[in-house]
Amino acid sequence: MEASSGEYTLPPSTYSSEDIIFCIDTHNECLREMKAKGAEGQAFTRLDAIKQSILLFITSKLTINSDHRFAFCALGNSPFWLQKEFSNTPESALASFRKITPHSSSDQADLTQLFRAAAHEAKRSRAQNRILRLILIYCRSSVPPHHKWPATQKLFTLDAMYLHDKPGAENCPQKVYDALVDTIEEVSEYEGYVFESGEGLPRILFRNMCVLLSHPQQRCIQDDIDIPKSLPKKSAAVEITAGGENVPSSSQELSM
Amino acid sequence: MAVDTIPPLINAQLNYLRSNAPFSIKVEQMWSGCRNPSLIDRFTLAIPFCLDYIKWDVIYNAQNPLAAPDVIFGPEDEAFHPFRGMREESLSNSKKNCLLEWNYKDPACLLTLILQLRDLYMVYQKQRVGEVDDERLKFELGTIISKEGLEMYMSSGVEKPEEVRFAVPLLGMDINKIVIGSSWRQQQKIYLQVIFPVVGKFTNKPPVPRLKLVSTPDLRAVLSVEDVRLLPWSDGMCLAEYLPTLEELLASQIKDAVTLIELRRQFIVALAPFFGRPLEADSVFCRKASFLSVSGIFTFVVHFALTLQFPKQPPLLVLQSSQHFDLRGAAIKSSSLTEYPWSPRWDVSEMAERIFDFVADECLNFRKICNESVHQQQR
Repeated sequence: MEASSGEYTLPPSTYSSEDIIFCIDTHNECLREMKAKGAEGQAFTRLDAIKQSILLFITSKLTINSDHRFAFCALGNSPFWLQKEFSNTPESALASFRKITPHSSSDQADLTQLFRAAAHEAKRSRAQNRILRLILIYCRSSVPPHHKWPATQKLFTLDAMYLHDKPGAENCPQKVYDALVDTIEEVSEYEGYVFESGEGLPRILFRNMCVLLSHPQQRCIQDDIDIPKSLPKKSAAVEITAGGENVPSSSQELSM
Repeated sequence: MAVDTIPPLINAQLNYLRSNAPFSIKVEQMWSGCRNPSLIDRFTLAIPFCLDYIKWDVIYNAQNPLAAPDVIFGPEDEAFHPFRGMREESLSNSKKNCLLEWNYKDPACLLTLILQLRDLYMVYQKQRVGEVDDERLKFELGTIISKEGLEMYMSSGVEKPEEVRFAVPLLGMDINKIVIGSSWRQQQKIYLQVIFPVVGKFTNKPPVPRLKLVSTPDLRAVLSVEDVRLLPWSDGMCLAEYLPTLEELLASQIKDAVTLIELRRQFIVALAPFFGRPLEADSVFCRKASFLSVSGIFTFVVHFALTLQFPKQPPLLVLQSSQHFDLRGAAIKSSSLTEYPWSPRWDVSEMAERIFDFVADECLNFRKICNESVHQQQR
């Protein structure tokens, strides 16, 4: 299905509840520290930020629509399930997180098996009038992912969130990012989104996770994303106009 | 410790019933009737009938799961003897006695049996109602007896006055087709529940029946029949006169409900120039939409909920932070915001603009509350 471009419309059409699989990269690069500290001043790793962002996603997504469901897997040396059964409680996320022990140092990231599992789940979801989405959270700065999934099989939507080190002589985050973009194009049923961040700021990760809340059947193409949209910062008397963004004018007349 | 299990053959029957029943049959309780208490072979089914539920116990035997089950009816129905001396033509489904032809290999058997018994129960209730010695009731019954889908129930018992309850289906139209894009699997219907007390002799002032509109649950996304003001039952009123007027009223309510869907749709679309493309919007009933906003570096989700009273009632707003979490790790939400400048007479663009202004201000309060809440947690 083509993602729409241009002015927003909301035609009357069914849209399905989602079954969303989070795939967390447990390569030891996920233990790199973010530019933030935990509540008691302890180190805050990428994995910590990822877990928090998943909880953010789940609790927000369930507020949007309590019928969406989630499952969890991890990508170490190879993909493995943390929780295969879909459920709609944040507690199931916490239970899955407890099973994560990051230790992989593989220089390979073959996603074929992951896609095969997702495709299998997608068939079951479809039988229940749901759509399947796979959100891959990837942390390797030197290992571009690859796959042998046939381009004709577009059974689920693929999104990617990429956390990486700053580009340097020893790594290739740009190559990794490009590989993710290509993979999404090859594999995803609906428009898939990819976000990257090398800054190490949790709030950027959280913001991008919120953009991923977008329902695949109602998305625009990534180039046209206009969210989060800025609200004007109101100060006492003066209005601030921000660039080309939409700012409401304060109306002088009383409209009743 | 043994885990309770249902023998596979019995479980297959129960699952088939749950997935394929044309209306929602509930399993109320399950227990064991055999020496091994962890083998579950008995359960109570609550079966929709005449806008209420009849409860029947289904008794299998875990030691002999190939045999057909027994069914025990409610205490009020001691006179209900299906399959015994009933005339062939009163069976609305297959003329075969499903119990005599029980095929344990076919998972549909239980559902077939229950549906057959329910049809026979309807015939039984029809007979009971027909035998009531109440002239007015006989007259009313005569005017509605041919309505497709009519159900009736005679309620009596110690301490209870005799009453007859009718479930009169209204509006022959296919409501499902009226809402475009709906994926309702069950046929949506509206019924008038009419309860006549049984009085016997024909009087000049027969008692006013109790009236209530009831709809299938999914329809509530579009129309709340409980909010429809019923026409009063005047002196000398009868169903033959009451029903057509009611159906006219309902048809116009449904028409209004569909118009309101479109108005809510226009409102959601009018929000987009201000709030950006929604993360997700209810494209069928247009009751909800969520957007992602940012004020400075504070990113948050704005959830809109539109009631059926929109635009008389303003949308309910809830803000949800992307950066503040409670002790369980959930993203902090504001309380429901409904107090803001609003007029149902504004056009949708103005409504959107005013709400945009309100959220721009309110999110600063919200951020303060979130910061305080997180600060409290850290103490």
